[in-house]
Amino acid sequence: MLLKLANSKKILFFGGKGGVGKTTVSAATAAACADSGAKVLLVSTDPAHNLGHLFDRTIGGTPTRISAGLDALELDPQETVNVHLKEISSSLHKLMPTNLYSEVDKHIALAKDAPGMHEAAILERMADVVEDGLRDYDKIIFDTAPSGHTARLMVLPEVMSAWTEGLIKRREKADRFAEFVRELGEDTSMQDKTIGNADDSEQERESQIRQILLRRRHKFTHLRERIADSDMTSFVIVLAAERLPVLETIELHEQLKQASISVDCLVVNKRAPTDSGEFLKERQEQEEIHLATLAKTLTSLPRQDIFLRPHDIVGLAAVESMAGQLT
Amino acid sequence: MTQKEKESLLKRIEKGLHEYYVAPYRRSFARAQRDEDDLFMLLVFAENMGVPNPAAYYTLELLPLVYDRFHEWHKRMGMERSPLDHIGCC
Repeated sequence: MLLKLANSKKILFFGGKGGVGKTTVSAATAAACADSGAKVLLVSTDPAHNLGHLFDRTIGGTPTRISAGLDALELDPQETVNVHLKEISSSLHKLMPTNLYSEVDKHIALAKDAPGMHEAAILERMADVVEDGLRDYDKIIFDTAPSGHTARLMVLPEVMSAWTEGLIKRREKADRFAEFVRELGEDTSMQDKTIGNADDSEQERESQIRQILLRRRHKFTHLRERIADSDMTSFVIVLAAERLPVLETIELHEQLKQASISVDCLVVNKRAPTDSGEFLKERQEQEEIHLATLAKTLTSLPRQDIFLRPHDIVGLAAVESMAGQLT
Repeated sequence: MTQKEKESLLKRIEKGLHEYYVAPYRRSFARAQRDEDDLFMLLVFAENMGVPNPAAYYTLELLPLVYDRFHEWHKRMGMERSPLDHIGCC
């Protein structure tokens, strides 16, 4: 069920409460897809990365080969922020006299830890991965951060494109006014007071501002379209059959629905087996009660159960053996 | 007065009249444009002035393009000194 879904989509997100096994399940799905011949990129958007821990090797900000057909990548927001700010400060340096460099750098350093910076950086990298990744890979699988963080990330492209849209509209309005002024001939009376002198450097500046804004808008709308396209993209919620994960799953499902993102599968991880003694059998009965609550609210969602195993899942072999259990 | 002088006088009157009618319009458009520009500056510098800005990451990259207008802008907005501690333009 999970595999069938994974094989029919190009982009797959795995989300859910912390600790339910998103990383393991998404890695197993990626391994299964790679096994059936697809070229898969597995991407972690959680700032506290786990892919490296799972595969027991270093995975960084560039795609790392895990096995034939499977590459993994951990998005690094701090690195993205640093590169972004460095570009800005070097273009500011070009404009400023040397004695003000330290002022500029102070300004930029303050921005580094401003709220929302990491979020924006992850979004930016996600947009790049979706845009470029589908050229080199058949499938992109995202292992996301716990629910709240991800729900926010999924609505961000919409918020951001609305915001850039607003700025672009304002610029267009200012440009229109400037054009009227130009058509009405030279005016010397306002020259010293307006900041929009109609000379060439001004027009150059305007067109640069517009280019930056348009590039932003393109990135956001592109990402937004891909995420909201239910033929291409699907969201899988991973949970454990316990009270809190079940309640959080219902909430996350609602949030994603509002962002018009289609959730097509639930994965219940670490299910207690029925044939392993009285204790686990009792646990299994308790789980059924929670799953009944889940089924009452999310009636039509297909469910894939994965059973609890005696040993930890570490390394490619363990992930592949888990992949073999997926249907 | 020769024919030529007459023509140039008419031209000058025409130019003057044109200016007389057009100037107020041009001034209002220039003002409107300036207001838009000022608003844009406010949006770009919002985060630095304590107004939460959902897209600080992206407005920052506009900074190099508007930085040199910053001084005129804060003066016009009625702030004698630079409102940002770390931009010491004056």
